[in-house]
Amino acid sequence: MILYTLAISDVKEAWWLYAIGAFVTLFIISGSLFFAYHANKRSKELNMSRENIKKAVISSVSFSVLPSIGIFIGVITMSGFLGIALPWIRLSVLGALHYELMAADLAVEGVSAANLTVENFVTIAFTMTIAIVWGSLFTLFFFKKYQSKVIDKAATKKETRSFGPFLFQAVFIGLISAYFGDAFSRMFGYKVKEIIDGSYTGNESIETTMVPLIVFVISFLSMMLFDYLVEKKNIKWLENFQLSFAMLIGMTSAVLLGMGGIF
Amino acid sequence: MNDQYRNNMHKYGRIFMVMGIIVMFLAPILIWIITGVAPNWAQMIAGVVALSIIYLPGGLIEMMTYSPLLGTSATYLAFVTGNLINLKVPCVMNATEICKTEINTPENEVVSTISVAFSSITTVLILSLGVILLIPLKPVLQSELLAPAFSWVISALFGALGYKYFKGNWKMIIAPMIIVILLSIFIPTFVNGQVIIIILIAAIITLIVSKILFNKEMI
Repeated sequence: MILYTLAISDVKEAWWLYAIGAFVTLFIISGSLFFAYHANKRSKELNMSRENIKKAVISSVSFSVLPSIGIFIGVITMSGFLGIALPWIRLSVLGALHYELMAADLAVEGVSAANLTVENFVTIAFTMTIAIVWGSLFTLFFFKKYQSKVIDKAATKKETRSFGPFLFQAVFIGLISAYFGDAFSRMFGYKVKEIIDGSYTGNESIETTMVPLIVFVISFLSMMLFDYLVEKKNIKWLENFQLSFAMLIGMTSAVLLGMGGIF
Repeated sequence: MNDQYRNNMHKYGRIFMVMGIIVMFLAPILIWIITGVAPNWAQMIAGVVALSIIYLPGGLIEMMTYSPLLGTSATYLAFVTGNLINLKVPCVMNATEICKTEINTPENEVVSTISVAFSSITTVLILSLGVILLIPLKPVLQSELLAPAFSWVISALFGALGYKYFKGNWKMIIAPMIIVILLSIFIPTFVNGQVIIIILIAAIITLIVSKILFNKEMI
């Protein structure tokens, strides 16, 4: 019962919470290396070129840096309300900034950094963890069956001209069209929820912006240029970095627009 | 597909998934045990029910949409490590494109697994580094100057990736783009608020158009 009197500031920044964060990190690195090891072994059985495996590693690492910095900014955003350790743990596993903020808001409505209690903190931690686990549970119980009954059937038609590959292409195109829509629609309106000290205040407004569409188009055009340099000018080293560079140019354009007062 | 390899990966994947779920629950359970303070059950259940209205069907749609693109091992890995749409799925799309492998082939299984594994490692290392270097990094990353860059990182990502997919498939793209533009004009907050539903609508439209073009031997 003595522990019951722990101050929330001590719990938020407790060393053991950081230790859990370190453990989660190690778990993910070990799991990733385990699967990568098996994939690499398999690549040798399939006589895949070492060059391709190297390309997969380099392009994936270089591509992941910028979005990961974006995810870390999510940790900073939440830190005003929940400290550093819990957001670090939450964003290292299944979850996302908007989801975590929504979970915190729904679990303890009306609570802010100033009046947060240990009970609120533990309630938020449980709510965040439970409600996102559905995707993992569906994967655990149904993915194997779904793969053999649906995906394989779609992909393994024996005719010379098969529709199978177009099926996957359609999902890719759907994905990209939807995110074009995400950028384009913001010219006409998007909801902004006010965040103060890492939690929603409940105030909402509808804003408009052209910036994401400009960013989308500039990244698209940059990629076109890099693709030309790789394919036509034979600058092969650029291949693994072209996506990161194109993103960087798009993101820089957002900063420049911001400097010019366009947000 | 080599059934033995795939079956093994399902077995390891499921074990990893169960371990992952336990690891996810470590934080709340240990906070409860160490502080001696239980969660407020009523608030917790109300919060979980409210969130699950969105995230239960969302979880199912995500598993059904992304798993064909990711392959066996990468699906298990990605559904523990998270950040599917903003990182893992585009990362695999990029690697698949660069390595010129086809979805649902043994070669692509290798490429996507390696891609998700190294992407996950990169993310957790950057997060850990960020936590260690938080004090010097916080003012830089929270500066007003850089804020727009990270607010629109997703648009930069899909804009760049978009070119690769739009390049060879322009006949398939016109119809979903027209629909998405119309939806954006008439229900903008729905389009940017419920992206997963828009992905589904756009994918179904692309599929129908592709089937028509395929039957007419136009693609």
